[in-house]
Amino acid sequence: MTSKSTPLVDIRGLEKKFDLSGNFLEQLSFEGGRLHRKQEAVHAINGVDLQIQKGEALCIVGESGCGKSTIARTVMGLLTPTAGEIYYEGRRIDQLRGKELLPYRRKMQMIFQNPYASLNPRMTIRQTLEEPIRFHHPDWSRMAIDNKIQEVMTSVGIDADWGGRFGHEFSGGQRQRIAIARALAVDPEFIVADEPISALDVSIQAQVLNLLVDAQKTRNLTYLFITHDLAVVEHFGTRVAVMYLGRVCELANTKTLFSTPRHPYTQALLSAIPRLEDDRPSHIRLQGEVPTPVELPSGCVFHSRCPYANDRCRQEIPKLIVTDDGTQVACHAVEEGRL
Amino acid sequence: MTTATLSRWNRFRDSFLWYSFKRDKVAIASFMVLLAMVLAAVFAPWLAPTDPYDLATISIMDSELPPVWITGADPAFPLGTDAQGRDMLSTILYGTRVSLLIGFGAVILQAALGILFGLMAGYMGGRVDAILMRIADVQLSFSTLMVAIIVGAVFKASFGNLMYGEIAVYMLIFIIGVAEWPQIARTVRASVLAEKKKEYVDAAKVMGFGTRRIMFRHILPNTLSPIFVIATVQIANAIISEAALSFLGLGMPETQPSLGSLIKSGFDYIQSGSWWITLVPGLVLVVLVLVINLLGDWLRDVMNPRLYKG
Amino acid sequence: MALLEVKDLDVRFAVRGGDLKALRGISFSLDRGERLGLVGESGAGKSVAAFSILNLIARPGYIAGGEILLEGKNLAAMSERELRKIRGNRIAMIFQDPMMTLNPVLSIGTQMVEALKAHRRISTRAAREIALTKLRKVQLPSPEKRLDQYPHELSGGMRQRVIIAIALLLEPEIIIADEPTTALDVTIQAEIMALLLELCEQDNVALMLISHDLGVVSQVTQRMLVMYSGRIIEQGPTREIINDAQHPYTQGLIKALPQMGEPGARLFQIPGSMPSLNNVPSGCPFHPRCEFATDQCRQAMPGYVRSGNVDVACYEVSNLIEQERLIRIQEQDS
Repeated sequence: MTSKSTPLVDIRGLEKKFDLSGNFLEQLSFEGGRLHRKQEAVHAINGVDLQIQKGEALCIVGESGCGKSTIARTVMGLLTPTAGEIYYEGRRIDQLRGKELLPYRRKMQMIFQNPYASLNPRMTIRQTLEEPIRFHHPDWSRMAIDNKIQEVMTSVGIDADWGGRFGHEFSGGQRQRIAIARALAVDPEFIVADEPISALDVSIQAQVLNLLVDAQKTRNLTYLFITHDLAVVEHFGTRVAVMYLGRVCELANTKTLFSTPRHPYTQALLSAIPRLEDDRPSHIRLQGEVPTPVELPSGCVFHSRCPYANDRCRQEIPKLIVTDDGTQVACHAVEEGRL
Repeated sequence: MTTATLSRWNRFRDSFLWYSFKRDKVAIASFMVLLAMVLAAVFAPWLAPTDPYDLATISIMDSELPPVWITGADPAFPLGTDAQGRDMLSTILYGTRVSLLIGFGAVILQAALGILFGLMAGYMGGRVDAILMRIADVQLSFSTLMVAIIVGAVFKASFGNLMYGEIAVYMLIFIIGVAEWPQIARTVRASVLAEKKKEYVDAAKVMGFGTRRIMFRHILPNTLSPIFVIATVQIANAIISEAALSFLGLGMPETQPSLGSLIKSGFDYIQSGSWWITLVPGLVLVVLVLVINLLGDWLRDVMNPRLYKG
Repeated sequence: MALLEVKDLDVRFAVRGGDLKALRGISFSLDRGERLGLVGESGAGKSVAAFSILNLIARPGYIAGGEILLEGKNLAAMSERELRKIRGNRIAMIFQDPMMTLNPVLSIGTQMVEALKAHRRISTRAAREIALTKLRKVQLPSPEKRLDQYPHELSGGMRQRVIIAIALLLEPEIIIADEPTTALDVTIQAEIMALLLELCEQDNVALMLISHDLGVVSQVTQRMLVMYSGRIIEQGPTREIINDAQHPYTQGLIKALPQMGEPGARLFQIPGSMPSLNNVPSGCPFHPRCEFATDQCRQAMPGYVRSGNVDVACYEVSNLIEQERLIRIQEQDS
């Protein structure tokens, strides 16, 4: 998919490894009469390229261990990449620190998964919202700050009079709204939402999702939406990236992905969604167990569970290729026309 | 601002802390006793019938008079007098003052050090954590009493008794405070490690806040609950440590005695029958430590996971 | 006679200031081999309902009234000793978080053998054999190896299979599954639910599935009941309720699902949220959020009316049914 303008966020060749080795002494082990040095790492992200265009809602879906949350945190600077670069509006940001990063901190915000842990239990709502505003706008008057707090609280549907209350006095859905208010309080351009509704009840999910949709329209936001819930993606996203064990399997427009999924994993994933129309579970059954990200399979990360794997799949890592309808797929079978 | 303080007071009145306190008779009684003792100690100069350290007012003729309920007592000295003729009530009031001063002072010092180092070790991790915790481990392997004895003895020898007398209070606060910081540091560090994983810390980082702000403004308030419990018990411990040191002759001097040194100075007179010189300060010490511990127990029960639910 | 019959079950929590009613007189039945779904959001009382069947509600919760009849015998009135013979044996439970159910310091084999020996007099070797059979039944790869492994060595999906195997050890007549797949990935969830369905069909085991996921309930259950604020507001064949929900709350739940929404448009949302236990509205608990609420709804809890094969507790529905009946009578007369 070619883009004529600079993407808002550009992720190139991103890799992230978490070292499990422990200190030097823990790495040594005595096996078979010889000293071995064991170095283990969790290969969370293994070469991801994504561009997020201004105004779109790119969703990353995948199951646990696929690396989607790690990408979110790396883009936001909570983790440093092992390899690769992250660009915002054409400028590289993954190496920036402290003061240099500050202007980007205002433009890029994040919403987290657990509403019960994302608000400081010892701060009132007002304090939670005031601190970021004051931090990024030290010159604003008391009244300007108060107005902003009021505006942002009302826009997420929380009564502005409740500013003196603490987080634990609110329900999960309300806390998530407050977290969204905090993110919106600094007028960001780009929001990374890491499973923002997974911990909420179904009817509350709808409320919060609507809130995010509204916010996007009124504030001209760009979203990177991480989720495991494909139904949400179908409703909310403009484009979808399906991830498996740290690699992107398929990247497509939402409609295209759901109507014609190309990658075998995407097909299995879609078939596994429990639909209301179903009378019985009728999903594509995958063989074997999910490999751990500690010992990545050779070749295509999906080959051990794929019904279409051949020798090439076991040895060669597939690259993302562009198909006729613009979808990008990383699959030898698709490339070879077998699928 | 009055509306803010009023709402704070209302919030306190509605809180579980107050509710639980009202229902726990032991807690109420302990608090009353402690409050009485603290007030008595604070206002000792005004409450004490005599100034026991003004050599002009004491007379050896009044020495070893028994407390009021025993024959041979002088009503001017309700709790009797000691070997030098000092009024026991007055000496106990002043002694409690010194004991409490050392107790609170030492705990404030250890809390300050412990919280600071615990925060740093927990939040910064890595080498800072390793170094601080190893220092803490080393310090924990030394007994406070042993260190205090050595330092006290060295001090006395180098600076002489007079100089020692003047700075004894500060020296004791310093020793006990510095010796006990590891315990608080470890607790704070454990809390920090747990809080660090929570998303509000990530939210603060994402907002661009610096390390110091996150450590002190965001994480610190959430690690303090267990500290209150520990601090209460540590006050009692500090008072006892000081009493033990004084009993060994390495604590407060005769001119500025604490409850411990009062017990010590009266110890020799048990044989001669003047048991009150040692026993009365001893009882006061026991009661003081007891009520502090009881309050600490209540506090621990109140602050249990229930409060962490949110 | 139904295998399990719950009549007017009333469960309360004794807290300072009075009793909170978690279940306000719920009634339902479960036949042998039948698969029943309990649907509702958090706070509705579905987990409380599941736990109270085996009288596992911890203090300050207690059963305040009603009966739980297992083939005629009232479980609510049984002593601990008698209940222990039923738990795990005739009625087994599967919980949401496998790490909470499995003891992390005991091997899988030890835990399974322990469960067996608590109810049967058999040797350890015989118990291990049975355990192995069950592990194979749940399609756990390399079952012999797993017996000696510890829970943390298995993945989430494998652990949940072990839990199901443990539930099946004593060949129970009823399995109560409380959100068994909520914590699992969607592909694993599909596998586990398919497995559960197969096992229940093969061995004619009744299943009580508690879930907030209507899709899962739709795939696996034959009948379902919808709970709101401690009451059952709709009960009947799953297919009928999903295709044509009667109660406004159920309708709202279905409409609010992202899969039912128009892509890009706003999702249907039910305003407000489920009332907390200490703040239950008068009359029908749903009325503050209901677009059809009338004074009648605010005054008294509606009784059940039958619409098709479904029982619904809603005045609006009963009014509509009444109107239809009158229209039909008119048409017959004319």
